[in-house]
Amino acid sequence: MSDLEPVVVIENLTKRYGDLVAVDDVSLSLNRGHILGFIGPNGAGKTTTIKILVGLARPTSGTARISGVDCVSDARRIKRLVGYMPDTFGRYSNMRVREYLDFFGAAFGIAPSKRRKRIDAVLDITNATYMQDRYVDVLSHGMAQRVGIARTLLHDPEVLVFDEPANGLDPEARIEMRGLLLRLAELGKTLIVTSHILPELSRICDLVAIISNGKLRAYGTLPEIAEQIGQSRMIEIQLASPDQLTTASERVMPFLPEGSSVDISETESLLRFRANLSEDKMNQIIRELVQASIPVSQFRELQTDLEDAFVSVSQEDKAGN
Amino acid sequence: MFSNPIIQRELIGMLRSRRALVIQVLLVAIFGLLVVLRWPSDPRVDLNGARSMQVFRLFGYGLLSAIVLLVPAFPAASIVREKQQGTLALLLNTPMSAGQIYLGKLLGVMAFVFIVLALSLPAAVACYAMGGISLQQGLLPLYLLLVLVALQYSSLALLISSHATSTDSAMKLTYGAILVLAVVTLGPYLFLQGVPGEEAAAWLRSLSPLPAVMEILGQRDLGGQGLEVIGGSHWKYSMLSVLSTVVMSCLTLRRLNVRIFDETRAQGVMTHELVGARRFLRNLVYMAGVTDPQRRRGEISRLFNPVMVKEFRCRRFGRLHWILRLVAGCAILSFLLTFLGLFGTHGWGVERIGGILVILQVSLVVLLTPSITAGLISGERESGSWQLLQMTPMSGWKIIRGKLLSVVYTLLLLVMATLPAYVVMIALRAEMQKQVIEVLFCLLATVVFCLSVSALISSLVRTTAVATTASFCVLVGLFAGTLLFWLGEGAPFGHDLVEAVLKVNPLAAALAAMQMPGFTSYDLVPHNWYIIGSASLLAFAALAVQTIKLTRPQ
Repeated sequence: MSDLEPVVVIENLTKRYGDLVAVDDVSLSLNRGHILGFIGPNGAGKTTTIKILVGLARPTSGTARISGVDCVSDARRIKRLVGYMPDTFGRYSNMRVREYLDFFGAAFGIAPSKRRKRIDAVLDITNATYMQDRYVDVLSHGMAQRVGIARTLLHDPEVLVFDEPANGLDPEARIEMRGLLLRLAELGKTLIVTSHILPELSRICDLVAIISNGKLRAYGTLPEIAEQIGQSRMIEIQLASPDQLTTASERVMPFLPEGSSVDISETESLLRFRANLSEDKMNQIIRELVQASIPVSQFRELQTDLEDAFVSVSQEDKAGN
Repeated sequence: MFSNPIIQRELIGMLRSRRALVIQVLLVAIFGLLVVLRWPSDPRVDLNGARSMQVFRLFGYGLLSAIVLLVPAFPAASIVREKQQGTLALLLNTPMSAGQIYLGKLLGVMAFVFIVLALSLPAAVACYAMGGISLQQGLLPLYLLLVLVALQYSSLALLISSHATSTDSAMKLTYGAILVLAVVTLGPYLFLQGVPGEEAAAWLRSLSPLPAVMEILGQRDLGGQGLEVIGGSHWKYSMLSVLSTVVMSCLTLRRLNVRIFDETRAQGVMTHELVGARRFLRNLVYMAGVTDPQRRRGEISRLFNPVMVKEFRCRRFGRLHWILRLVAGCAILSFLLTFLGLFGTHGWGVERIGGILVILQVSLVVLLTPSITAGLISGERESGSWQLLQMTPMSGWKIIRGKLLSVVYTLLLLVMATLPAYVVMIALRAEMQKQVIEVLFCLLATVVFCLSVSALISSLVRTTAVATTASFCVLVGLFAGTLLFWLGEGAPFGHDLVEAVLKVNPLAAALAAMQMPGFTSYDLVPHNWYIIGSASLLAFAALAVQTIKLTRPQ
C-alpha cells in the first residue's frame, strides 16, 4: 500500500439500534501519518463509529477498511492493525505496569525476547519508564493515560484510535499528551482522536470530522470546515481613535444581514461583528469607511475556531429539533 | 433518628434494586410453600403439636438461612462503594457526624431486615395457628434472635466494607467471615466434648447462631453425639452477638473519618533495587527469589495461556508465595486432623475422621470457588477491560480457557494438598480404598460443579459483587440448604424424600461414600455424579453460548 493511498476509509457507514440511527451514512478517509479529530456532542455517534472501525461492532450497512482490510469481515486482522484506547483504562488489581504491558504483549502473541524490548520502547515513547514497577490500580489519571497509550503501541499498529485521551488531565498533562500525539504522528502512525477539549484538537489535527445525531456534518481541514458549515465570519475593525466609532457602526450596518448587530468597544477603539459575508461585500465595507474619511487602522478577520464550528453545528441541531 | 437522610436513602436505594424485589417475592413464595407443604391434610387432631413444630422448625431454619445469606450483601458494599464513587467524601464533609452516617447505614439495612421478617409473619402466624408453639418461648425468641443475627452480620459487613478496597473483596471477605463465624466455630466443640477445654469450645461455638436457633426450635444439639446438651445457647449467643456488634461498630466508627482517603498502596522496594545483605537475605527467604513478590517478573512464556497467568497475578493470593503458603497450610491441617482422629480420639473411627476431612475439603471448595470465579468475566466487564481483551487477537475460547484454568489449578492444588490424609487412611485400613476413590470422584464433581456454576453466573451479570453473592447463595443453598432436609429426617421429612434431596448434594454423596455416621443409610452414589455431571455440562454449555454473545461484535 503506497503512502498516498488513504489508510482509513469509511464509506456510507450506517448503524441502527432498532429505530435509533446511531451512525447515518458517514463517509471519510485518512492518509498515513495524519491526525483526525473526531468531534461531536455526547451521543452523536463518535464511539459507535470508532467501535465499528476497530471491529467491536458491526455496521448495519456500509464499509470500513484499514490498510485495505475490511473491519467487519476480517476483524481479527484489524486487531493487529489498530491500537485502540477506550475512554476507560481497564485496570487490573495487584499488577505492576510492566506486568500489565507484558500481559497485553503476550495476548498479541509477541515473542518474550521481542516483548521485553518492545515494552522498554513503548515506556520510553510515553515517558512512563519510571512507573514500570508501580501498581496499575493506584496510578493517577494522567499516568494511566500514558500507560494506556503504551499498551496500544505494544503491537506496533498502523492506526491508533484514542477515545478522549485528554479527558480529566490537568493543563500540564494535556500539553504533554499533545506532544505525545504529535510524536506518534511523526513516527508514521495514523491517529483518530476524539475529544471534548477542542482547542487541544485544533492544535494537533490535520483533519477534523464533526458528527452530530449520527450524521457527518463537516469534514476537512479547519478552513474547509468553516466553509462547509456556512459559519459566520468574525470581523474586527480598529479605528485610530474612538471618536468615530458610532459613525463607523452606522456606515457598516446597511451591509450586514437583517438582525445582525455591531459591538462597539470604546476602550479598544474597536468594532466587532459576525456575519456570513462574501469577499465583495467586505470590499464594499472598506470602501465605504474610507470614503467617509473614517481613520481605519486595522481591518481583520478572526481565525475560525474549532469551538465556534462545534457550537455552530450544535446550535443548528437544536434549531432543527 | 428516622429523619436521618442516610436511612431513607439506603432503604429506598435497596428497595429500588431489582435484587431486593426478587428477594422479597422469592421469600414470600418460599415461606408460603413451606407452610403449604406441611399443612395437615387429614382430619386427625394433632394433640401434642408435633406437626406444627415440624413446620415451625423448617420455617425457622429457612428464615435463618435467608437472613444469613441475603442480608450481608447490602452492607458489605455500602461503605466501599461510596468510597469508590466519591460520595463518602461528600458525606464526611456534611455537618453529619460519623456516628450519624454509620447509624444511618446500619439502620437502613435493619429496616430492610424488618421488611423481610414482616414478609415472613403470615407464615409464622400460620404455624402458630396450628397450635403447639409458644409465643413467648418459640416465636418471639426466634424473631429476636434473627434480629440479633442481622445486626451482628450487618455490623461485621460494614466493618469489612470500611477496610476493603473494592466491592468485590468486601463481598468475599464478608461471606468468608460469616462462614467462619457460623460454621467453623462449631468445629472445635466436635472434638473437645468431654475433655478439658470443652467450656472454651462451647463458648466459641456460641458465636454461631445455629446452636441457639436449634435450641429455640427444640432440636437436639448439633454434634451432640448423645452427650448431655449444654443449655442456654441462645443466651450465650445473644450476649456475644450484642458484644461483638458494639465492638465492630466502634471499630467501624474509628475508620469513618477523612483519614480513610489518605491510604495509598505501598509500592515496596523492588528486590533488584536492594543492595548487599538485604538483597541476599530476601533472596534466601523467598527461595532464591523464585517466590519473591517484589521481584520484577519475567515475561509470560509462550507455553502458558497469558490470561491464566494474568489471573494468577491479579489475585491477591494468586502469587506463588501465597499459593505455597495455602497449600502448606491445607496439607498440615489435613495431616493434623488425621492424626488427631486416629491417635487422639480413640472412639471416633476412621469414617468420622474421613467425614470431617470431606467437610473441610468441600467447605474449602465452596468458599473459595465463587470468590475467585465470580469475578472472572463480570470483573472484566465492570472495569472496562473486557473491551481490551476483545481488542487482542485472542479468541473468546482462549480467554475463557485461561480464566477457567487459573481456577482449576488453584482448586486442584488445594484439594490435592489435603489428599495425603487419605493415603494415611488407606495405609491404616486397606479396605477403605473403594470408599476413598468414590469420595475423590465426589470432590472432583464438587470442583467442576462449583466452577461451572460460578463461571456461568459471572458471565451473566455485569458486577462482581452481584456475581459473588449470587454464586455463594446458589452453592451454599445447594450444599448447606439441602442438609436442612437431612436435619429434619423423621420429623417432618421421610427417609425417601431426604435421600432424593441429598442426591443433588455432592457433600452428602461424599459423606455417604465415606460411610460417615448419619449418612450410612443413603444410597447417593453414582446418582449424584450423574446429576451434578449433567448440571455442570449444562452450565458449561450456557457459558459457551454466553461467551459467544460477549465476544462477537455488537
